[in-house]
Amino acid sequence: MLPTLSVLNLNGAVPQIAVAGAGMLIMLIDALFHRGSRRWAAYLALLGLAVALARVVESGASAETILDGALARDGLGMAFALVLIVAAALSVLVAMDYLRREEHERAEYYALILFATAGGLAMAMANDLVAVFIGLETLSISLYVLSAFFTGDAASREAALKYLLLGAFASAFFLYGIALLYGASGTTRLVEMGTAIRLAGTQADPLLWGGVALIIVGVGFKLALVPFHSWAPDVYQGAPTSVTAFMSVASKVAAFAALVRLLVVVLAPAAPLTSALLALLAVLTMTVGNILALAQDEVKRLLAYSSIAQAGYILVAAVAGEVGAAAVLFYLLGYAFTNLGAFAVVLAWSRRGEGRLPFSDLAGLGFRRPWTAAALSLFLLSLTGMPLTVGFVGKLYLFGAAVQAGWTWLAIVAVLNSVVSAFYYLRLVVIMYMREAEMPLALQRAGLALGVALAVCAAGVILLGLVPGVALDWARQAVAVVLS
Amino acid sequence: MLQYAWLVLVFPLAGVLINAFFGYRLGRRACGALATVAVALSFLWGVGILAGLLNLPAEAREVHLALWDWIVAADLHVGLSLLVDPLSVVMLLVVTGVGALIHLYSNGYMREDPDYARFFTYLNLFIVGMLLLVLADNFLLLYLGWEAVGLCSYLLIGFWYQKKSAADAGKKAFIVNRVGDFGFALGIMLIFATFGTLGFREVFERAPVTLQAGGAVATAITLLLFTGAIGKSAQIPLYVWLPDAMEGPTPVSALIHAATMVTAGVYMVARTHVLFALAPVSSAVVAAIGTLTAIYAATIALVQTDIKRVLAYSTISQLGYMFLAVGVGAYAAGIFHLTTHAFFKALLFLGAGSVIHALGGEQDMRRMGGLFSKLRVTGITFVVAWLAISGIPPLSGFFSKDEILAAAYHSGNVPLWLIGLITAGLTAFYMSRAVFLTFFGDSRVSHEAAHHLHESPPTMTVPLAVLAVLAAIAGLGASAFNGFLEPVFEGAHAAEAGGLPEAALIALSVLAAVVGIALAWLMYQRRAIAPERIGARVPSLHRLLYNAYYVDYGYQRLVVRPLHALAQWLARSFDLGVIDGIVNGVPALVSGMSRRLRGWQSGYVRRYALSLVFGVVIVTTVALVMVRTI
Amino acid sequence: MSLTQAVFILLGGMAVLGALGMVTLRNLFHSALAMILALFSIAGIYVLLEAEFLAVVQVLVYVGAIAMLILFGIMLTRDIVGRASAVRNRQWPLALAVSAGLLAVLAVALVRAAWPLATYAPAQGGVADLGLALMGPYALPFEVASVLLLVAMVGALIIAREARE
Repeated sequence: MLPTLSVLNLNGAVPQIAVAGAGMLIMLIDALFHRGSRRWAAYLALLGLAVALARVVESGASAETILDGALARDGLGMAFALVLIVAAALSVLVAMDYLRREEHERAEYYALILFATAGGLAMAMANDLVAVFIGLETLSISLYVLSAFFTGDAASREAALKYLLLGAFASAFFLYGIALLYGASGTTRLVEMGTAIRLAGTQADPLLWGGVALIIVGVGFKLALVPFHSWAPDVYQGAPTSVTAFMSVASKVAAFAALVRLLVVVLAPAAPLTSALLALLAVLTMTVGNILALAQDEVKRLLAYSSIAQAGYILVAAVAGEVGAAAVLFYLLGYAFTNLGAFAVVLAWSRRGEGRLPFSDLAGLGFRRPWTAAALSLFLLSLTGMPLTVGFVGKLYLFGAAVQAGWTWLAIVAVLNSVVSAFYYLRLVVIMYMREAEMPLALQRAGLALGVALAVCAAGVILLGLVPGVALDWARQAVAVVLS
Repeated sequence: MLQYAWLVLVFPLAGVLINAFFGYRLGRRACGALATVAVALSFLWGVGILAGLLNLPAEAREVHLALWDWIVAADLHVGLSLLVDPLSVVMLLVVTGVGALIHLYSNGYMREDPDYARFFTYLNLFIVGMLLLVLADNFLLLYLGWEAVGLCSYLLIGFWYQKKSAADAGKKAFIVNRVGDFGFALGIMLIFATFGTLGFREVFERAPVTLQAGGAVATAITLLLFTGAIGKSAQIPLYVWLPDAMEGPTPVSALIHAATMVTAGVYMVARTHVLFALAPVSSAVVAAIGTLTAIYAATIALVQTDIKRVLAYSTISQLGYMFLAVGVGAYAAGIFHLTTHAFFKALLFLGAGSVIHALGGEQDMRRMGGLFSKLRVTGITFVVAWLAISGIPPLSGFFSKDEILAAAYHSGNVPLWLIGLITAGLTAFYMSRAVFLTFFGDSRVSHEAAHHLHESPPTMTVPLAVLAVLAAIAGLGASAFNGFLEPVFEGAHAAEAGGLPEAALIALSVLAAVVGIALAWLMYQRRAIAPERIGARVPSLHRLLYNAYYVDYGYQRLVVRPLHALAQWLARSFDLGVIDGIVNGVPALVSGMSRRLRGWQSGYVRRYALSLVFGVVIVTTVALVMVRTI
Repeated sequence: MSLTQAVFILLGGMAVLGALGMVTLRNLFHSALAMILALFSIAGIYVLLEAEFLAVVQVLVYVGAIAMLILFGIMLTRDIVGRASAVRNRQWPLALAVSAGLLAVLAVALVRAAWPLATYAPAQGGVADLGLALMGPYALPFEVASVLLLVAMVGALIIAREARE
């Protein structure tokens, strides 16, 4: 029988369609009537994201599938989708003034952000490994292109090429893992795969274990977990800063969404193995990320290493499996505001045509740019995990989940790492407020869009830190509704 | 009244906000006055709370105020809730009372500093944090206050950040405290893992049931908490930051690094006495570390020449006394000494500040002397504080110190008591030395400093006078004080054992003080024994003490530098070169080939790819080994 | 050994040979030809598995389009055709060791696996089923893949256009 539209039920896929559709519309309008400023493209992108967001919020979660079982509309998927859409919208705001300043304002930028988001949404909500993979590729290829967006810039091109080559490598492993899991279960549908694995019992099927390992490698690459992290510092540093900001948040949200779904829906019977592997990676990632961050003298690269370490913290809760899902979600929400905000400040302060922001440039800015400096301090304190910021509540929840699941030693390692991280985060604050500028750098006025983005990020960090209850409840209820 | 206890937090918080945003616009006088009034209001409000508490029957003096639910999740509930009981009220009054006086003093002391608004903002923020710490009703809030006062402490130590030594001292305090805070955080986590809650009431109620007395969990929790106290209260081995913290402005040294913040560790141990009662081993550790620190720091203070460093080591030593007290279960005595110490040590610091101020920044006692006649008020108040800390009756220090020594003696730890007694003698000696060198004898003041030598303005001398009165008479309230605190520490009585009668103990500690003072008098006033000669007789000992046992040097060599080198090495090797290193090692095997190809390719992508595949092999191998299919 | 097995070993051997040739031959043009051999052999394996449509697609897309594109690229780039290029660098022994390790681990997994056999026969009208699957259960990946291709196209344009300007 031919499938009909009612079977496909496109209504439920409105978020994806709105996001991808807005992207295509931008391309089309730009091709037909491109004249002058491309600001309209940003507004159109925001509109598409707003529609998607409204749809996600309004439709509510239910443990059912659409598109003939391929797309899950459960709380888990919807919640991660929401975080992703918010992150994308903030990224658009952050980029608007920056692109104009760097004379790279082009409509394709926003289209690519939207396509990447569409790929991420597929990863978060797909109930099919093939769809997860294609979503991952869509996200990745968009990011490769975005990394190369400042084509005149050698660093940007080099970053993109490195990312592309290594990403292709990692994708091959991911795909191989899918093949092995398909071999073990005979299906690519996640729910059915989970059932098959449960029925087969926990006896050691090498296909299952091999598949699990390779899938973790594939996801681990996107998350820049050690030892799959080597691309991240170079790419984060070389890519345009607005892209780095988007990349550091969006790929994490999407990849963690897929990982959590895999852990909860498919790999729950294999929990001892997945937990052990992830714990190993978490320890490596946190420790190496933090130690390397200590030795940096440039903000963008520092934040790259800090992002690596942050992925390690989140992984600590992922180790706890189902228990940690809500913590992962909540932390990512806070992380989206925090990290995007931090990068937004880097972008506002870096010199024109130059992505780098050496520590020495920060000196004295605490008083010359009091509001922006206060915002950056807030973001850094939140990344450190200072109380009254979202970072504190988030870390408490992450590590608490690990303790609850019996991974106390891992939580201890994580706390120790947070302590270490305070050194390099607070060092920036100290430089801003406690050192005189030797050669004051010429600062541009931040535009309105950037100001709005910073204000939203700061408000998010503070509100989620002061009254986290609502968001925590939301996260908990969301992950409780899982398709299975 | 009691329901509105939270107002004590609001006054200084308002001060912070106003001064942070409008401080410089308000002008110097208004800014300082505002900050001072804010703390004074808190103090007055605190007095009101005390009255409210006294109206209640003794056993009902424990009020929990839930103000606001902060984190509410299924398994975790943390509220902003305050605990008002005799212990927290005592701390509240000490913090705001001494705090208000020091704020007033700062109006005079900082009157030439261009950064006055920043200074008063930090100072008020400190008061907020400290009040949060002492009023907290759960461990998380306690931790929040703990971190907040730590932050203010670093900011204020490094207040004159243009001076490299000040910036370094701030950094050192930060780093050393991280170590302690890590232990503290772990302790809190362990409490949460054990009890499933962080509220004081719940934890202390369940502790006797949940924890096995003397068991591993109880010991671990209390030792971890004590680690935090070691860092914050500058005990062995984490005391090294406190002497350097004297780089901050003197009012800061008086408020934060003498009277209040550094005693937070003592307060915390007293607050969690229910847990420590279940862990005798931990209590013994607390007492031992406290006693050791007391005598250790006192010996260093014997030979220091910088007046503020003498006082810093003295503070470390006196904190050791307090830990000795809480370690042997004499919690009320510990808190009492905390209170009297806040008076006389703040007074000593403020007096020293007044001297430094008068001499235009001079801190070396070898270039002072004979100042008593020039600085009347400062001199007299300083003498009161000196006699108080030395333990001369009937001044406050005598009562509080004697109580601790008696408790140590009765707990059966005669060696601890003996060390405490010797320390009392040493304390009397080094304080007398400082007084004689500074205020008496011939003037060694440099000519230009002598020229504009002047007594400090009233904003500085009034606090001195008030504190001097308190330092003198506070001891008389000892029994009332203990009675007030009694309900908090019920069930934690120090054991009463036989032995020497009370009077003999008192006589011995007074004797120790008198001997110390007399010896110092002979050496530094009468010059009957030349101190230089003694120093020359045992030069190595003198050097050892003067350099504070070379501990800083040792830390630098054994901890700081290796860690720094490790980080650098890791950065270099991991970042670019793990694979590089291996690759460079391989040429030994395939030398000809590799040399020919060197320089042909300069990109690093292949290495990244290699490390990636290497990771894949590891992960897959681990996975397969773990399920034992190989 | 049945005929099917013999053919499989032959095709598999050719695929491995082609892959090895691709990475070891010094002439880039020869490498590309070796790759075509590998791709062809894989198409043959698809035929053996009764997936004729897939085999045709494999030949059309990979051999017909991708491999040709690569050959064009090589021929249009000056100084590459006919010149021997180094195929090894300083890290090759290590790379070989790591790759061998990966092969060993995966081989252990694959050899020990109890391969489940499909319980149903391959569908006869393969193309029709494939079409229905793409419009039904696999509509999502199919649609996302179209976005993916669009992104790739846009990316190529962006990079190429800027380079020209």
